[in-house]
Amino acid sequence: MTTPQPTPEMVTITIDGVEKQVPSGELLIQAAQDHGTYIPRFCWHERMKPVGMCRMCLVQVETPRGPAIITACTNTVADGMVVDTLNHDVKKAQEAILEFLLANHPLDCPVCDKGGECPLQDQAFAYGPGESRFVEIKRTFEKPIPISDLVFLDRERCILCARCTRFSDEISGDPLIEFKERANQTEINTFPDLPFSSYFSGNTVQICPVGALTAKPYRFKARPWDLVKVESSSLFDTAHPRIEVHASHNQVLRYTGVDNPETNHGWLSDKARFGFEYLDSEHRLTKPLVRREGDFEEVSWREALEIVANRLDLIKGEDGGGALAVIGGAQGTNEDAYALSKFARVVLGTNNIDCRTDQALSSHLLAATADRATIDDLDTADTILVWGPDLKEEYPTLYLRVRRAAQELGVRLIVIHPRRTGLDDRASLKLQYRPGGGFGLLEEIMAGEHPELGEMLTGRVVALIGAANLADDPKLAESVAAYIRQTAIQARLLPLISRANSYGALDMGVAPNLFPGRVAVDSAGAGALMAVWGDVPSKPGRDTGSMLEGLESGDIRALLLVGADPVGDFPDHRLAAEALESAEYLISIDTFIHDSNQHADVILPAATLTESEGTITNCEGRVQKVNQVKPAPGQARSDRAALSDIASLMGFELGLGTAEIAAKEITAVAPAYAGITWDSLDWEHRNGVIVPEGGSQPLTYIPVVLSGNRPPQAQLTLHTSRVMYDFGIRLRHSPSLAGLGPGPVAHINPGDAPGLGVRQGASVHLVTTTGEGEFSAVIDDGTPPGVVYVPLNQRGATKLGTDPVVRVTVVK
Amino acid sequence: MSYWPAATQERARAIIARYPQRRSAVMPLLYLAMAEDGYLTEQGMTEVAAWCGITEAQVQAVASFYTMYKRERTGKYLVSCCTSISCMLLGGDDVLHAIEDESGVPHGETDDEGLVSVEHVECIGACGGAVAVQVNYETIEGVTPDKARSLVRWLKDARPEVVNCDEMQGLFGGRQSFDWAIREEAGAVGPFPAFQPLGTVGDEGKP
Amino acid sequence: MSQLVVTRRMVENPADSHTLDRYLSTGGYDQVRRAMDLSREQLVEEVKASGLLGRGGAGFSAGLKWSFLAQPRPSYLVVNADESEPGTFKDRQLLERDPHQMIEGIIIASIANEVRHAFIYIRGEYSKPARRVQTAVDEAYAAGYLGKGIFGSDHDLEVTIHLGAGAYICGEETALLNSLEGFRGEPRLKPPYFPAAKGLYMAPTIVNNVETVSNLPHVLSMGAAGFAGISDSTDTGTFMMCLSGHVRKPGNYELPHGITWRRLIYEVGGGIKGDKALKAWIPGGASAPWFVPEHHLDLEITAAATAGAGSMLGSGAVIVMDEDTCMVRAAERIVRFFAHESCGQCTPCREGTTWLEMILRRIEEGSGRAVDLDLLIDVSDGISIGLGWPPKMTTICPLGPSAVSPIKALKDYFRDEVDRHVELGHCPFGESTHTSGEEE
Ligand SMILES: Cc1cc2nc3c(=O)[nH]c(=O)nc-3n(C[C@H](O)[C@H](O)[C@H](O)COP(=O)(O)O)c2cc1C
Ligand code: SF4
Ligand code: FES
Repeated sequence: MTTPQPTPEMVTITIDGVEKQVPSGELLIQAAQDHGTYIPRFCWHERMKPVGMCRMCLVQVETPRGPAIITACTNTVADGMVVDTLNHDVKKAQEAILEFLLANHPLDCPVCDKGGECPLQDQAFAYGPGESRFVEIKRTFEKPIPISDLVFLDRERCILCARCTRFSDEISGDPLIEFKERANQTEINTFPDLPFSSYFSGNTVQICPVGALTAKPYRFKARPWDLVKVESSSLFDTAHPRIEVHASHNQVLRYTGVDNPETNHGWLSDKARFGFEYLDSEHRLTKPLVRREGDFEEVSWREALEIVANRLDLIKGEDGGGALAVIGGAQGTNEDAYALSKFARVVLGTNNIDCRTDQALSSHLLAATADRATIDDLDTADTILVWGPDLKEEYPTLYLRVRRAAQELGVRLIVIHPRRTGLDDRASLKLQYRPGGGFGLLEEIMAGEHPELGEMLTGRVVALIGAANLADDPKLAESVAAYIRQTAIQARLLPLISRANSYGALDMGVAPNLFPGRVAVDSAGAGALMAVWGDVPSKPGRDTGSMLEGLESGDIRALLLVGADPVGDFPDHRLAAEALESAEYLISIDTFIHDSNQHADVILPAATLTESEGTITNCEGRVQKVNQVKPAPGQARSDRAALSDIASLMGFELGLGTAEIAAKEITAVAPAYAGITWDSLDWEHRNGVIVPEGGSQPLTYIPVVLSGNRPPQAQLTLHTSRVMYDFGIRLRHSPSLAGLGPGPVAHINPGDAPGLGVRQGASVHLVTTTGEGEFSAVIDDGTPPGVVYVPLNQRGATKLGTDPVVRVTVVK
Repeated sequence: MSYWPAATQERARAIIARYPQRRSAVMPLLYLAMAEDGYLTEQGMTEVAAWCGITEAQVQAVASFYTMYKRERTGKYLVSCCTSISCMLLGGDDVLHAIEDESGVPHGETDDEGLVSVEHVECIGACGGAVAVQVNYETIEGVTPDKARSLVRWLKDARPEVVNCDEMQGLFGGRQSFDWAIREEAGAVGPFPAFQPLGTVGDEGKP
Repeated sequence: MSQLVVTRRMVENPADSHTLDRYLSTGGYDQVRRAMDLSREQLVEEVKASGLLGRGGAGFSAGLKWSFLAQPRPSYLVVNADESEPGTFKDRQLLERDPHQMIEGIIIASIANEVRHAFIYIRGEYSKPARRVQTAVDEAYAAGYLGKGIFGSDHDLEVTIHLGAGAYICGEETALLNSLEGFRGEPRLKPPYFPAAKGLYMAPTIVNNVETVSNLPHVLSMGAAGFAGISDSTDTGTFMMCLSGHVRKPGNYELPHGITWRRLIYEVGGGIKGDKALKAWIPGGASAPWFVPEHHLDLEITAAATAGAGSMLGSGAVIVMDEDTCMVRAAERIVRFFAHESCGQCTPCREGTTWLEMILRRIEEGSGRAVDLDLLIDVSDGISIGLGWPPKMTTICPLGPSAVSPIKALKDYFRDEVDRHVELGHCPFGESTHTSGEEE
């Protein structure tokens, strides 16, 4: 739905004697490349502003004052421009630049990670003068120094192209790595004791044209030439940034960013880039486990499947499908999710199925946002409104794209969040509200108390809406959406939920009120589905919260967890824990043992990303193909395969023999997915295809009794939200990232600290009605007075739950 | 949470107010930081970063670009001898050696006492009065090796609180690039320029 | 001698030329009122017609530059007082001895170019000049010549003095602007070719040298024609020459254009010290290709004639070297300067100049090789292709190519001297340098 860019007028230039038609205003280096003339370069990167520093791209152009040598990366084409990329002067210049660059380069290629994929190495070979005439003593620096937990810097190899510094300044907005000294002493470095701790540091490793920046997770792991590579997408980011998976001997060694012009522009968060280690963790589940006398026992698949099938049959027979429930399905592919959706309806005969373990947004809002925004809409918007999570922490790709729109494209940005966010420095307007006070603010806005906001909500508005806070009532987001919809006619909405493939799972009907294609369970549209699925329950089932209550009360007897950890994710962690404890029968299909399945009766080992192929759907509804590069460890299998077997043991055939068959069935039953074939995704639609939203229903502002939502002013208010690095099960098993979370910390405003007698680093005791525990205090002016901010789900942190009122006492 | 005394913070505010954009104040504030600590400390750079609303790394990038921001301990007297072309032609190297020899401090270093630092510098705009030497950026022209030695001895013995170009020119200088004409009392109080907005100008022997 | 313009007041009133009283009593600030009566167009025309050329080194017509000023206004004015080109010390004298003359020039330029905020970028090592200018600026504020509604008009003008901190490259106007904005002093990419299009804080900006600005009051008082008439050569007005090196009478001399180098060195400069022979001189600051007696003594000192001979008048710095000067050592000293002052952002300048310096030092210290001169020339070729003038640069700014000028001299005039170093295995002129600059 991106508003199409106007096609630029074309001009004629002559490159090495051949006339070319090129878009006016384009950089010469780009124009030449698009017409098959590759001009060598080091510092130029198509996603960053040119700096013309390396001088490798020198070419000759005719000027009124005779021929001149200019850099192709900093000069735009002009009509009638005559360019020579081959003559003597140009060759002389290129050889000279390379000889200069190599003069002080250590040439330690044999032990350099970049060896084999190094632009300097390649171009020295292609354009270099042969051996160097530099007989003086080379510049030396201390060999690789760690500049962050993930990145090493070798200044001897650095050619000072400023790619890393430009990235951290222009793109990710945290300029912690910079030039230092001058002239021949110039180097790249950080400030003493201030590491390059950026959520995006890995990108600098990828764009460094030499081996100066290397990544800890894959230093010395492999040589480029013995890597197997497949394209895929990351599930650590709901925008599903495109990646290339590099493996060797059935082990995944690294992900690199692929430039999908419609999503990530080649950039990845460090979490998406380095979050692969868990795949080969020795803690991966590789055999089916069955609980016997309290302990898990490894059994054969056959045995495990029979146990599961019999038990489900029994309960279904006694109490019907209503006694069965399914939570999860958001961690895998659409094909797996579809299999789960079909399994629940057709085999278990229940609509008790939900992929939203954190229930941040109502499935109604998620399913009903017709005219959903695309990521590219950010570039052409007049105003972007972000009311919800701190994008830098939870939505890295959206963060980078919003930052770019605001910083480079001059789009107005409004940020509404209870504390400082990563985008505040680019926001034209920032509103803060006390956690739980979102409705209050919305009422003020609707009462016209914030005119400046109203003025900005005009023209093409793109609103990114989600839950800013664990305590936020899901109805808030929907009400905000309703308000935007009625205020800004041209508004496009992008509802935000952070689970891996949640959008895909919802599209596959892994929700109590939706069938595949986001067709409401009780709507007429469901009829079409019956043709394929046969007779299935037609009234909405129970959502995660209600299922957990059902388990506790006993009217739900068996729960199937698929890649889900409600104890870790569900806001009311106590309910989740008690519900799972009291579940009569608990089955888990997963890759690891965790808080939620440790008490399961049966655990089936699951395959995951890179171990199976299929499709996934990102936050804007973009369907992309993910591919297999290695087999799953041990006997782990895809969810689809496991479910199919259970089904047949229960006397049903899911008919989903392979993922591709499942994909075909999806296109048949989910109208929105019609025509999306694997072939097209593998070839002409590498960047993915955006599916139209399902049936759009009107959004309604749901007034809520404000008293309940106005935080009592007297006390301190608790703000809990997700951060980039938490104690999630995958990060936990990815050694390089596991240690990066802030840990159990409580942020307190400098103004409040003295009153509470709290100092930086002091250990404090926090108490709410739903939990209590010890945290170490961080004095932080980004957290407003009267608020205590606690990053969610940290190693060693006890859960505080959703009660906004918190008491703080210092631990002596 | 600035560690600068109120007066210095007042100056910082006044300096920032002289520019349309806060970041432009980086250079003058770096001088303030030097005047505060005697040289440019990491703490000083962190302070400047806070005042200018940029990161420490960005401040360091600027500070390390310029030769006058001394990021290492520097003597009370920074003796800079020009050895660029015009001064070299008239014995700049000899004058430098004389200074090093008399002070016992090789160029680029500081004596243990923290009294004298010696450096050779590129052209300081006194070529008509070569050889030129500066003490804390107060210029002396027409310096010979012998006069250079007496300059160093004078600094070590007299230890003036304020060094002033006119006074030193009278004592140790010779031919000038042009007629200086007017005698001034103002001078420098440390290894950084004496300039009113920085509050670094000393008078009549008193800082 | 010839007519003095920018140095007249200080020559006639040595004791107090820098004070406001003296300035006012000698016609100071009269031209501001004249300027206020003229339109921007008229002022730009007047300055253009006067033929005033920039005195910072590029020698570009001041009026023409002003005419490039882009919208939107108000724009900025930056006075370039970073004077750091080896051999140059004229701006220092103008700053120290007649600061109000420059301030009046600033006011005139600001009226002409719709400037509300002007900056004076003074190199950090010029602390005394900076103090003098600050005092003068304070006086001007007190008198209502600066600040809100200057001279009772509705024109506001703030003036901020910005101290450099030791970086020659900040004299390059775009590097200066980066420095002023609080960034590293790295030259910006061209185009845009003039800050008049996009300058300080991306706003249209006029950058002019101290001497250029100091001439403005005189352009108005004499009128374009009068000013042009001072010199009977193609270049108008006067030109401050900084004489240094082995001449008897080094110093600043304000001269009309058009005298010959022979007159400058032997009459104005009093000839070579100790009556030694002249070996070579640098006509326009360390950046300029060298001249030698055989070819250049009787050339006229004009921009055109100098350019015709493959060099430039640049900043007006003339560095004279006698027969006992080691050309390798002199070259090494100048190359060392550029290597040290390179901003380091572009490859050929950062790596090339240092490489040249290393080779020259090796030769001077006696470990030169027969191939080294050709290597010097070839490395230079990679910085300034063809070693021509003006240079065909592979760099972002002219600093790198400037370092090539001495190599060009070695190549064209002093090959044998380089070879002698290599053959002897030491410097033929011995260790000790010339003795210090006392009067004879
Ligand atoms: C490397 C380099 C150094 C320069 N240094 C100075 C300088 O110290 N002072 C100066 O006025 N101009 C200097 N310039 C010239 C300026 O870039 C600019 O042309 C000049 O200040 C414009 O003023 P004008 O037109 O009045 O001469 C330098 C140029 C270059 C390339
Ligand atoms: S570290 Fe790499 S990316 Fe950064 S400047 Fe050096 S070569 Fe370029
Ligand atoms: S690619 Fe053009 S200068 Fe580096």
